[in-house]
Amino acid sequence: MEAWRDFVKGNWNNAIDVRDFINLNYTPYDGDASFLSGPTERTKTVYAHVEELLKEEHRKGVLDVDTEHVSSILAFPPGYVDKDRDIIVGLQTDAPLKRAVNPFAGLRMCKQACEAYGYKLSDKVLEEFAYRTTHNDAVFHVYSKEMRTARHTGVITGLPDAYARGRIIGDYRRIALYGMDYLISCKQADKEALQQKAMTEENIRLIEELYKQIDFMNRLKTMASQYGYDISRPAETAKEAVQWLYFGYLGAVKEQNGAANSIGRISTFLDIYFERDLREGRLTEVEAQEIIDDFIIKLRLVRHLRTPEYNEVFAGDPTWVTMSEAGIALDGRHMVTKNAYRVLNTLYNLGSSAEPNITILWSENLPETYKKFCAKVSIDTDSIQYENDDVMRPIYDDDYAIACCVSAMRVGKQMQYFGARCNLAKVLLMALNGGRDEISGIQVGPKGKTFKEGVLKYDEVIKAFKKYCAWMAKLYVNTLNVIHYMHDKYAYERLMMSLHDTNVERLMAFGISGFSVLADSLSAIKYATVKAVKDERGIITDFVTEGEFPKYGNDDDRADDIAKAIVEYFYEQLCKHKKYRGAITTLSILTITSNVMYGKKTGSTPDGRKKGEPFAPGANPMHGRDNHGALASLNSVAKLRYSCCRDGISNTFSVTPEVLGKGEEERVTRLTHMLDGYFAQDAHHLNVNVLNRQKLIDAMNDPTLYPNLTIRVSGYAVNFNKLNREQQQEVINRTFHAKL
Amino acid sequence: MQAPIHSEESFATLDGTGIRYAVFLQGCPFKCAYCHNPDTQPFAGGTPVQADDLVKKILRYKTYFKGGGGVTFSGGEPLLHAQFILECEQKLAAFGIGCALDTSGAVPLNDAVRAAVDHSEMVILDIKMPNEEGYEKYIHGSMKNPLALFDYCVSNGKRLWLRTVIVPGINDREEDVESYLALIGERIKGVEKYELLAFHTLGFSKYEKLGWENPLKDTPALTNERLAALQTYLDGRIKEIL
Repeated sequence: MEAWRDFVKGNWNNAIDVRDFINLNYTPYDGDASFLSGPTERTKTVYAHVEELLKEEHRKGVLDVDTEHVSSILAFPPGYVDKDRDIIVGLQTDAPLKRAVNPFAGLRMCKQACEAYGYKLSDKVLEEFAYRTTHNDAVFHVYSKEMRTARHTGVITGLPDAYARGRIIGDYRRIALYGMDYLISCKQADKEALQQKAMTEENIRLIEELYKQIDFMNRLKTMASQYGYDISRPAETAKEAVQWLYFGYLGAVKEQNGAANSIGRISTFLDIYFERDLREGRLTEVEAQEIIDDFIIKLRLVRHLRTPEYNEVFAGDPTWVTMSEAGIALDGRHMVTKNAYRVLNTLYNLGSSAEPNITILWSENLPETYKKFCAKVSIDTDSIQYENDDVMRPIYDDDYAIACCVSAMRVGKQMQYFGARCNLAKVLLMALNGGRDEISGIQVGPKGKTFKEGVLKYDEVIKAFKKYCAWMAKLYVNTLNVIHYMHDKYAYERLMMSLHDTNVERLMAFGISGFSVLADSLSAIKYATVKAVKDERGIITDFVTEGEFPKYGNDDDRADDIAKAIVEYFYEQLCKHKKYRGAITTLSILTITSNVMYGKKTGSTPDGRKKGEPFAPGANPMHGRDNHGALASLNSVAKLRYSCCRDGISNTFSVTPEVLGKGEEERVTRLTHMLDGYFAQDAHHLNVNVLNRQKLIDAMNDPTLYPNLTIRVSGYAVNFNKLNREQQQEVINRTFHAKL
Repeated sequence: MQAPIHSEESFATLDGTGIRYAVFLQGCPFKCAYCHNPDTQPFAGGTPVQADDLVKKILRYKTYFKGGGGVTFSGGEPLLHAQFILECEQKLAAFGIGCALDTSGAVPLNDAVRAAVDHSEMVILDIKMPNEEGYEKYIHGSMKNPLALFDYCVSNGKRLWLRTVIVPGINDREEDVESYLALIGERIKGVEKYELLAFHTLGFSKYEKLGWENPLKDTPALTNERLAALQTYLDGRIKEIL
């Protein structure tokens, strides 16, 4: 069978150009969801078995750990969920939900993770790594005292210096479209071309990376052959296209345990194969859905072994198999296909789920039927998120995807150096205390003037804050330069990078936490009277705030302008410093679930928040302070400019079903209008939860009531029962837009 | 021109079609026994707001109004401030934003009220009690003005919704529904939707805060089941009549 039969030819026939292939061949779908099929008996049987395993995993923490074999593409023999019934095959280890050890990024974390669940990392692995430098070792060989102190006091945390960075999306579609042999030959050609150039440090490094890439491309072929497939050639059918693509992703998550290994923008691409098979009578709709269902089951089973500390930052065992859907093509056609519906339909066929992290690239110009179907899925499952294609497309064109929660990148053309986040609320306290940490008293930043007790003057505070922000930006850039130099050297993503262009563009992603606390604190100092109070060490640890002040989240420009200015200033400062490998500076306001942990590590703030209390997540207004209604809250967040926050502005929004209206149709329509209205103001991201607070309280008190309760937290979804009590409490305390 | 505003809600979804920006104006000539917002009743109070400032603020929500959304003036009794509403309606109309009036019809039907109604996209009118005795006893007012507004809307073909709050022990029987329908009579033909609302106790704390006697403090909330049953009964009867 000819793999490219029937396809419209173009530049993709002369070079690797998946975008060109998609644009020339996809079929936009304008109809509704009525064509969709329910789960087959096979799907129900397989998923019932999976659900049993998931229950057991939930009870035990992890289902099983293989402590003998270090995870890699060929470390395990083929594994199956149900060998006779699997349609799409492949597991990370030899059994479903069995986790592998992966010490490349850090041996200590790997050991601790095993111990946390009652396992012991085998002597064999310990010996293997005894004389080996891990990424984690190497970073600490180079870190300065200042970097260690900043890390230790928590002014920058969550840094990928003891675990793998993730946030890199291999273009797994290339395997289906071209087959491995062609991809390998392209990399060989690139390598030979580079070998003709001057052997500079930069060039030598890239040639060595290409060697590693090609090595792992060959291993992937071997892995597929162990499952009985020959992926050296292109895929010939829809089922093969899904399988080829999945093999690529599977190889990547066997090799790498980065925080977020997202799968990219695949459903429109795959739809081209499904449409062709349906046209040729090779496939029925029931079978098409069955393939997608089985593929999604595999994605729901991806696991990595984590430590309890890691879970505090990234709660609920997420893997961020983020799948980006819909969007608009550069020629103006929408990119919704039948497959975009099939993917959403898995949330009905298999029940709601946190993974894969389905992300709708929203545009005003998406078909209304699709928008309404998405809104219905949100109302029914609380499992999906929305990001504004109309603000991302002008920067990233029409073949970008989201990694992790909100990070956009061109698939196969750009990669990211993930940089976690810096606690700017703490930087404010540090500025007031002349560079000392308000909790430990340690001198972290340069020694400066400590503010006197009594009323704080806005101009003086801003001046000091800016000075410490500038210092922070420089330290933060340098720290990330060290981390990513070492990650490239000791934990290079060989397979994922082989599925990128050789001359990839790099983004370095910085982050802010404590955002709304900082904005409200500065607003309090400006518009109310804030008196600083010192403790016995002479450190300002408390504030007496008198009078009213405008708060971020109420569409009040007085507070919102402060919020905007913070982001713009910090971004400007970050841009000033040189980035490793010429990376482009990007910034996010995203906290995952670390807003709880960050709050714990931060003293009382002038906005009235007490020491240790959680921050609001991401760019969210602080809980309960956005009291001018749901849209006022959305409008405030929409004012933050995406152009200086290109790594994403995360907003999590909870509304009760009653406030959306009286029956399904009314609710669906209102939610659609709300999303349109929010994104029309150039807002970037929205997590939508439609539920009542009481339901969460009931679930917290009795987890058996709603075993599959999925909620959106901050750029991803979690099973509510997997959060710890503190995190559950924080989610419950968030603003629910309700009405009497 | 300015008017006293009690409060605003940027995401109102129950008072009209689509997403509504609701403006609650201060002051009401009626004093309903079951009022759940008694703090909107006094004529004194509220924050004086200029029409221009309100319009400017509402324009920030324009992107949410597609598909039938817009502004709803409620209260209190919004038509106490008919001139102010008219000014807002005219200014918002220039930006393609329509306004709904959520009214008890308590004020006399004068030129200003007619103009405000004419410039609105729809009226949501409360029919509080089925007869004059009920209005006297529970509303502390007369049904004369509400019925005049009702007639005006019907005869001018204004898009019109009716509403009645159902209170246990006062008007929660099928025969009460019949009395409302008898009062409405032929006018039902000019009504797009007739919605029953449940009496609830969530406004009780406001009475305590105001230091007011709550005349229905011993009355339980109407159950959702009872509300649904009465609404079904009402819908069936309207179908028969039409």
